[in-house]
Amino acid sequence: MEYSISTILPIMLLPFFAFVLNAFIVKKFTKTAVAISCVAIFIPFIMAMRIFIDFVFNKYSSDYYIHKTFTWFDLSAGAQIFKVQMGIYLDNMSAVMLLMVTGVAFLIHLFSTYYMHDDPRYGRFFVYLSLFTSAMLGLVLSDNLFSVFIFWELMGFCSYSLIGFYYEKEGAGNASLKAFMTTRVGDVFFLLGIVALWTTIGSVSYVEIYKAIAESSLSSPVILFGLGIPLATFAGFCIFMGTIGKSAQFPLQVWLPDAMFGPTPCSALIHAATMVAAGVYLSLRMYPLMDAGGLLEFIAYIGGITALGAATIALVQTDIKAVLAYSTISQLGYMVLGIGVGAYSASLMHLITHAVFKACLFLSAGSVIHALHDHHTHAPVQEMPRMGGLRKKLPYTFIAMLFCTLAISGIPLFSAFVSKDRILGDALVMAAHSPIYIVPAILGFCGAFLTPFYMFRMIFLTFYGEPRDQELYKHAHDEHFSYNRNLPLLILAVFTLGFWYSGSLTGQGIVKVFPESKYEWFQVLVEKPVLNKFLGRTATPLEVSESKEFIEHSHYDPNHGIASEEEAHHVHLIHRFGAAASFLIALCGILLAYSMYITRKFSPEWWTTTFAQWTKALKNRYYFDHLYIDILIQKLLHPFNNLLAWIDMGFYDRYAVDGWERVLALSYSVARWFDNIVIDSVLVDGSGISVRFFNIVLRTIQNGKIQFYFLVLLFVLASYVLAFKPVI
Amino acid sequence: MNMFLMIIFTLSAFLAVGGALSVAFAKNLIHACVYLLFSLIGVAGLYLTLGAEFVAATQLVVYVGGVVVLLLFAIMLTGGSNLHHVTSRFGLESTPLMGNLRTYIMGIVTALLLIAVLCNVLQGSISASAVVESKFSSTVEQIGVKLVTDHILAFEISSVLLLGALVGAAIIARPYRSSETEN
Amino acid sequence: MGIIPYIVVSSILFICGIIVMIARKNIIAILLGIELVLNAAALNFVAFTKFNNMNIDGHVFALFIILVAAAEAAVGLAIVIRFFQVRESIHIDSATQLQS
Repeated sequence: MEYSISTILPIMLLPFFAFVLNAFIVKKFTKTAVAISCVAIFIPFIMAMRIFIDFVFNKYSSDYYIHKTFTWFDLSAGAQIFKVQMGIYLDNMSAVMLLMVTGVAFLIHLFSTYYMHDDPRYGRFFVYLSLFTSAMLGLVLSDNLFSVFIFWELMGFCSYSLIGFYYEKEGAGNASLKAFMTTRVGDVFFLLGIVALWTTIGSVSYVEIYKAIAESSLSSPVILFGLGIPLATFAGFCIFMGTIGKSAQFPLQVWLPDAMFGPTPCSALIHAATMVAAGVYLSLRMYPLMDAGGLLEFIAYIGGITALGAATIALVQTDIKAVLAYSTISQLGYMVLGIGVGAYSASLMHLITHAVFKACLFLSAGSVIHALHDHHTHAPVQEMPRMGGLRKKLPYTFIAMLFCTLAISGIPLFSAFVSKDRILGDALVMAAHSPIYIVPAILGFCGAFLTPFYMFRMIFLTFYGEPRDQELYKHAHDEHFSYNRNLPLLILAVFTLGFWYSGSLTGQGIVKVFPESKYEWFQVLVEKPVLNKFLGRTATPLEVSESKEFIEHSHYDPNHGIASEEEAHHVHLIHRFGAAASFLIALCGILLAYSMYITRKFSPEWWTTTFAQWTKALKNRYYFDHLYIDILIQKLLHPFNNLLAWIDMGFYDRYAVDGWERVLALSYSVARWFDNIVIDSVLVDGSGISVRFFNIVLRTIQNGKIQFYFLVLLFVLASYVLAFKPVI
Repeated sequence: MNMFLMIIFTLSAFLAVGGALSVAFAKNLIHACVYLLFSLIGVAGLYLTLGAEFVAATQLVVYVGGVVVLLLFAIMLTGGSNLHHVTSRFGLESTPLMGNLRTYIMGIVTALLLIAVLCNVLQGSISASAVVESKFSSTVEQIGVKLVTDHILAFEISSVLLLGALVGAAIIARPYRSSETEN
Repeated sequence: MGIIPYIVVSSILFICGIIVMIARKNIIAILLGIELVLNAAALNFVAFTKFNNMNIDGHVFALFIILVAAAEAAVGLAIVIRFFQVRESIHIDSATQLQS
């Protein structure tokens, strides 16, 4: 099947039309609106499935891509070409992402029909969901950074409105503002990067950027604060800042835990599966740019720090959703670490697997929360200390959540073992290759130890042991299987199994799906972009032959300098070691959790009292909120704000505005004087007076007295004769 | 011959100029009209000295016999000289409607101006005027031929003009006839 | 004897006529002035005919002037009489408006 814009674009347009339609009918026909939303995500799911199958089984070379463009608007004037092209860029990565987004979004839609059913704003939730899904699919399909940015902001808006969905709840409004503003910091950088690329390349299309990287035309320096920075570094950094904001990486991670104020399905969709992953997706797309800019080490450090730091904070959280939120940040850190160590396909794979199991975890948490209802405060209960022993009451939820927890812990046969451990393995390879990667690798392995610990802590606290709040437990609803509550959970849980993503146990290509390839399908499908294929696309043959020389000098190196067979074997060994190590570490983490929360050999209280300082720091989330709000905003921005306000009020307002007003008043009085004297008196009255004057004169002349006429006649005649002396 | 012409000219000129001046400065309209009669007679005499007998005769017949009589009739019909005795603001008793000091000053100023103009204009013609003696023959025949050959159009138009003037005068000056008085 | 005496006489007649036309306030008196002016013109025509060329056209013009003067006098006096019937006045300044 030959794809064209009209066959691909409905994937994103259907949810958008659903959004537009629902926005109008949602008040009166809530159920119809919900049904429309669900159908409008199910049809794209089918289409994405078709595209995916097409890509996997027919054209499974990583070179294949579809690039269709159309001109959005054309402001060209003469030789000055200013054309904004929009288009669709569909390759294997997009196909995988499309399938993941549509599938997860559909299941979350389905779950929402259960979870949000009794909410007074049931319909509005689906309106937002449709808009969000449309924006996410648009982002995946985009072929240029500009439309990516548009959808990026659209998603940011949806996130904002969904975090503040329960706006009656105290803190929800602040949380939505915080999320919006924090991501905004990254977005500004992102926009800056887009502009930087635009000014150099003249286009922000992926293809053009790849081409420019292949031609090494991005190494021209940008002068910034007196320092010459290569453009690729500058633009790559700016775009990665966008990722940091959106994917809640190390300095800007503060918004994601607060985003849990939103409804749980929205947390599952936006703040776990898709939107936060969009930042990683963008970084993957721009991987050649970041590699060319030499940013990979930086990215690896950011990812490692995030992975470990968020995991440590998750240790002390008591809110079930907060644990999941920090777990999300940590896993996103792994993806970013994967980008940093060049584990391109593993990073995307972890994105997919994480989207599946984290969506499932959130939905399970939603199911738990929904089951527990505090009859005193009439609020759902999210605190883990009040749970416990829910295994019997919520069997399906328990199974789904257990599967996901095993997956995220990196247990063999489950998905994260394939993806996360490949990231860790690649990190080890890079650490062996260059010492600068040793620290991110260690950070990653420490995080890999903590991940199963806090996840199983959550499981044990929630489902095992004796119920700590008997009244709550008594009132908890027993779970009966329902298609819209448990089916999504179980489907997602099934997809946490590893064989969907890899034919082998470790994901290192031991069991080959495609015999002719040395890798498995995911690695076959998703490879680091080979930029040579973009070279001859639009250029003339002459330029191709010229540009081939440049490729050798290109900074972009997909193989990371590991080229020879011997080294590849070496890599293989390290991979195996990494897999074994991470499995052992995961087991240690699980055992520690088991001994602490089930057998109670180690008391958690002992840890919290012994490391009181650390616990305090962790409970305060490493004081980042304190840093941002109390120091950065209160101490720094507030005085600056006051200064600006003072300048504004005292200077601009007083002198510029009021001064201008005075100038205006003066000119007004001048104008009034002019008006009164010149216009009114001289011109208007003057014309009247002159008319009257001439009236008098003419009336005197035109008096009807014949003798007077005669006199005038004579005088005129006489004066004429005397003046000109006509010759007779 | 010369002497005879000279005498006639002197008499006629004196009569014409004197009559004209009297017309200009007479206090009474009737008198002014009579002075005009003299002045016209004087002009007719001047025509005679210029060898224009037919014109002189026409002058006498039309003016003296027609126009002046008509004027006198008009004066009589409009109240004669007894109309509107007014005193000027200088205290002088002025003849009714015969002008006062102010109007005369104005008239004389105009007259002086015109004298200047006439002197200016007639300078060339006076200096260029060479006396060309003509043989003095009767002009009646010549005028008759001229009128019905060269000036036939003007002749016919003047007859129409006279008719129109006659009818028009009769209509305009007809008595104030209103249907109410008849009824 | 040249043309000059004739021109002088006609000038005097003309100027007297002008004086009459300007100084008098009586419509009939103004008509008298007009007659004087016309006579001065006619006299000039005849005089120039006599002294400048022997064309008889000047005489014809004089005749036409007399004719026009007669017609003018007839119509003018008729108007004066009519005006006097309407306005009870033959003051020239009372004839400043066309409508009564």
